[in-house]
Amino acid sequence: MSALLEIENLRVAFNTRHGEVTALDSVSLTVNAGETLGVVGESGCGKSITALSVMGLIPSPPGRIAGGAIRLAGEDLTRVSEARMRALRGAELAMIFQEPMTSLNPVFTVGDQIAEAIMLHQKVGHAQAFRDAVALLDRVGIPSPDRRARDYPHQLSGGMRQRVMIAMAVSCRPRVLIADEPTTALDVTVQAQIFDLLNEIQRDFGAAIILITHDMGAISEMADRVAVMYAGRVIEEADADDVLDHPQHPYTRGLISCIPALGKGDTELREIPGVVPPLHRLGAGCAFAERCAHRNGRCDSGKPLLVNHGHHPAACHAVQEGRI
Amino acid sequence: MTDAVAFKPESPAREAWRMFRRNIPAMIGVVVLSIIVLATLWGTFFFAGNPYEIVWAPHEAPGVAPEFLLGTDYLGRDIFAGLVTGGGPTLAVGAAAAAITMVIGISLGALAGFYGGWVDNLLMRITEFFQVLPTLLFAMVLVTLFSPTLTTIALAIGVVSWPQTARLTRAEVMKIKELEYVTAARAIGAKNRRIIWQVILPNAAPPLIVSATLTIGVAILFEAGLSFLGLGDPNTMSWGLMIGSNRAYILDAWWPVTFPGLAIFLTVFSVSLIGDGLNDAFNPKLRER
Amino acid sequence: MSVLLDVQDLTVQFTLPRQGLFGPRPVLEAVRQVSFRLEQGRALGIVGESGSGKTTAAMATIRLVEAASGKVIFQGEDLLQLDDAAMRQRRRDVQLIFQDPYSSLNPRARVADIVREPMDLMEIGTPEERRARVTDLFRLVGLRPDQLSLFPHQFSGGQRQRISIARALTTNPKLLVCDEPVSALDVAIQAQILNLLARLKAELGLSYLFISHDLGVVRHVCDDVAVMYLGKIVEMAPREALFDTPQHPYTQALLSAAPSLARRKSRGYVRPVKISGDPPSPINPPKGCAFVERCPKAQDICRRVQPLLESRGQNRVACHFPG
Repeated sequence: MSALLEIENLRVAFNTRHGEVTALDSVSLTVNAGETLGVVGESGCGKSITALSVMGLIPSPPGRIAGGAIRLAGEDLTRVSEARMRALRGAELAMIFQEPMTSLNPVFTVGDQIAEAIMLHQKVGHAQAFRDAVALLDRVGIPSPDRRARDYPHQLSGGMRQRVMIAMAVSCRPRVLIADEPTTALDVTVQAQIFDLLNEIQRDFGAAIILITHDMGAISEMADRVAVMYAGRVIEEADADDVLDHPQHPYTRGLISCIPALGKGDTELREIPGVVPPLHRLGAGCAFAERCAHRNGRCDSGKPLLVNHGHHPAACHAVQEGRI
Repeated sequence: MTDAVAFKPESPAREAWRMFRRNIPAMIGVVVLSIIVLATLWGTFFFAGNPYEIVWAPHEAPGVAPEFLLGTDYLGRDIFAGLVTGGGPTLAVGAAAAAITMVIGISLGALAGFYGGWVDNLLMRITEFFQVLPTLLFAMVLVTLFSPTLTTIALAIGVVSWPQTARLTRAEVMKIKELEYVTAARAIGAKNRRIIWQVILPNAAPPLIVSATLTIGVAILFEAGLSFLGLGDPNTMSWGLMIGSNRAYILDAWWPVTFPGLAIFLTVFSVSLIGDGLNDAFNPKLRER
Repeated sequence: MSVLLDVQDLTVQFTLPRQGLFGPRPVLEAVRQVSFRLEQGRALGIVGESGSGKTTAAMATIRLVEAASGKVIFQGEDLLQLDDAAMRQRRRDVQLIFQDPYSSLNPRARVADIVREPMDLMEIGTPEERRARVTDLFRLVGLRPDQLSLFPHQFSGGQRQRISIARALTTNPKLLVCDEPVSALDVAIQAQILNLLARLKAELGLSYLFISHDLGVVRHVCDDVAVMYLGKIVEMAPREALFDTPQHPYTQALLSAAPSLARRKSRGYVRPVKISGDPPSPINPPKGCAFVERCPKAQDICRRVQPLLESRGQNRVACHFPG
C-alpha cells in the first residue's frame, strides 16, 4: 500500500543573521490513512517546521524548501501552485494549533468562522453551512451547540475553543490532520478529553493524524507510529510500542527515562545533560554527540544515517556499531 | 535557536548601541546634531562677535559682503553671529524643558502606575486636566504672567508637556509590575521605593528615552513658537527670536528668517531621526534581524 | 519531626471591578478555608488545574498576596500578624522559585547581582563574603563561576531556573515555595531541575511547598500531596496513599487523565475515570460540593451540602461518596 502522505528527503533552510541554517535535513516520513504518526522532540528540533512545510506555510522569506518532496496521494506539494495549495489547505490538509485563542478570529462568532471554512471549499449557502457548523460543534462535544455557535471565541473556555478548532479543521473531512501541540495550553482533564475526541474523530473520518508533541505520554496514548526528531533530523522511527519499549537512540532513551512517571517516586531521574545546540552551530558530526554518553571519534566526524541495525531504524553510530 | 548561549557578556544597553550604529538615518541624525552642538559650543565660548551689534547696512543679501556670509537683518546685524550665539539658548531651553517634562512625567506616572487605586485616580485626573489645556495658550499665559526669561520659558514648556510622558510611564510601570521579577524583588524583602526606582524604571527606560529625545525636539519648536509670537526672552539671542523679530520683513528679505528656520528644522529633524533609531534599537523584535 | 508551617483556614478574596456604573463589586474567593501542615525537611505538593487557587494559596502563605482571614504559623509565629518591617526580615526564611524562567529575572541586571541582591537588602556579610557566597551558590546549582557577569538573556531556560534557585537560596531559607518550577521547560531539562531540587532538599534540609499541575512531577518531588479544586483542598494524603488509593473522584480523574506510558493506543486503553467539561470559574462556585458539576458520582446531597475533609485510611478527603 502506498502511503497517503509521503515526505521524502525534505530539506528546509532559513536565512538568519548567522547566515543560512538548515532547519530540516533529509527528513523522510510517511503516514497512512487512518493512522496517527507522533512526531516528538524538544523545542527547536524541527517538529513544527515539518508541519508547516506540509501545509505550505513556511514563512518565505526567510525560509524556503531547499530540497526533497512532500507527496499527498502522489501529488508533490513542493511543486504545486499557491492557488492549488490554497485549495488543498482546509479541504485535504488541516491543522490545529497550540493556542486556540490566537488562532480564532475574535470579532466573528465561532459558528460563522466554521461556516466560512465550509463555504471556502464547498458550494453551499451560508444557512446550510451554518447548520453544518452547528452539527460539527455537536460532533466535537460542545453542549447546546446551536447556542454556542453564536458565541464569540472569548466567551468560550480554552477546552471549548480547541474543540471549535477541531470542528473547523475536520469541517471538510481532510485526509490529513496535523495537530501541533494541541493540548499544551490546556488543563490535564481537558487534555484527556481532547485526546479522546481526536481518536474518535479519526475512527469516524479515517483521517491520517500527525501529532506533534514534546510529551512521550501523549505519544503513548495517541500514536500508532513515532518519529523522534533532533536538531532538524529524524533520528528514530518505528511503531509506537517498539520505540517506547525498545528505544534505540540514546536521545530517545533519555526522553523516555527522564519523565517523572506516575508509577514511581524518589528514584533519581535520568538526565540528558546540556541543551539542544542552536542550528547555526551544528558541525559535521552527530548533533546529539555533545550530550551523549556513548560518543566516540566517529560521532564527531560524520552524521549517522537513519538505518536499521537492530530492532528498528535509528540514526546513531553507537547503535549501528553495536556499542549499545 | 532560543537556547543560543553566547559567552560574551553584552549588556542590553550595549546591544542596543550595536543595533543603533547600523541604522543609517539615525547615524546621520547623530552627525548633524553633533555639528550643530559643536557650532553652538564654539559660538557660545569662542565667538568674539556680538549678535546685537549693527555692523553693516540692513538687509544685505547673503554672499555679498565676504565678512557677513549669511547677510544681515533689518537692523544690519550679522545673521551668522545670531545663529551661532542663539543656538546655545535654544538648545538649552529645549533640553531643560525636556528634563522638566521627564522629571514630572516619570515621577507621577510611576507613582500612579505602581500604587494604582485612588493614587492612580487622583494623579490621572490631574494629568487629564493638564492634557486638555490648550498648551500654547497656557504657556503664553505663564510666560506673560512671569517675566519671559529662559528659565520661565523652559518651565512653561515643561509644565504643559509632561502629561504624555506620565501616561507612557504609567502604562509601562503597570505592565512591568506584573512580571515575576518584580514579585521576586518583593519576595526578598525589597521596599516599594527600591522596586520602583531600581527594578521597574530601568526596565521601562527604553520607551522613556525615546520619548525624552522626541520631547527635546518638541520643546525647541515650542520655544521658537513663543519667540515668534514675541513672547521670547528679548535679552537673549535665540533662533526663535531671530525669526520673530524679522518676520515682518519676510517679503523684502528671505534670509533673516530662513537661516534660523533651517537651523531649527535641522536640529528637530536630527533629534527625531535619533529618537526613531533608539526606538528601533530598543525593540527586541527588530533586533533578531 | 517539628512542624515548620501550619496554615489554618486561609482564605483569599479578590474584589472584581464594578459591574456597571453603580453596580456591586463582586467578590471572588480564590482560596477558601485552606488548612495544611508542612514538616521540617519535607515537601508538600499542591496539585490542581487552572483556577484551583493553588498558586494564590501559596502566595498568600508567604504574604505576596493579601489573605482575607486565617493563620499562617511559621516557626511558631503568625506571619499574617507581622507588620511590614518584621515581615521583610522574615523573608530571608521563606523564598520563592517561579514558573517562567524568562520573566522571573530582571533583564537589566547581571546574574551575579541578581543572586547577591537578597544579601545586599538584608545586609548580610561583608562585600567579600557576599561575592564568595554568590560563587558558591553558582557552583551549588550547577553553573560555572565564569558565567557570573552575564545577563539573563544569555542563558537557556534551564540555566535561568538554576539562577532563580540560587537567588532563592542566598539567604539560607528554611521554606522554599516552588510555583510550577519546571512546567515551562523541555522534558529533558525538567529532569535536570527536578534532580537538582531533590538534591538540595536532601543536602540543605529544605522544606518545599511545591505547586504543580503535573502529577508525575509531584510524585517525584513531594512527600505529601494536597489536591485543590475551586479554592478548596478536596483530598490530602501522603504520596503513596494519594497515588495508590485516591479517594476523591477528582483525584481519580486527574490520575486517569495524566498521559502515561503505560496506556498504549495499540492496546486500546480505556480511561478508568472520565470527566467532562472544564474547571468552572471561581466567581460563582456551586453551593454544595465544588466538583458536583463534573462528578460522575454526584447525588442530590452533593448539590446541597458542602463535604468536609474527613479521614479515610491515610487520606483525608472531602467527598460524600469517597473511594
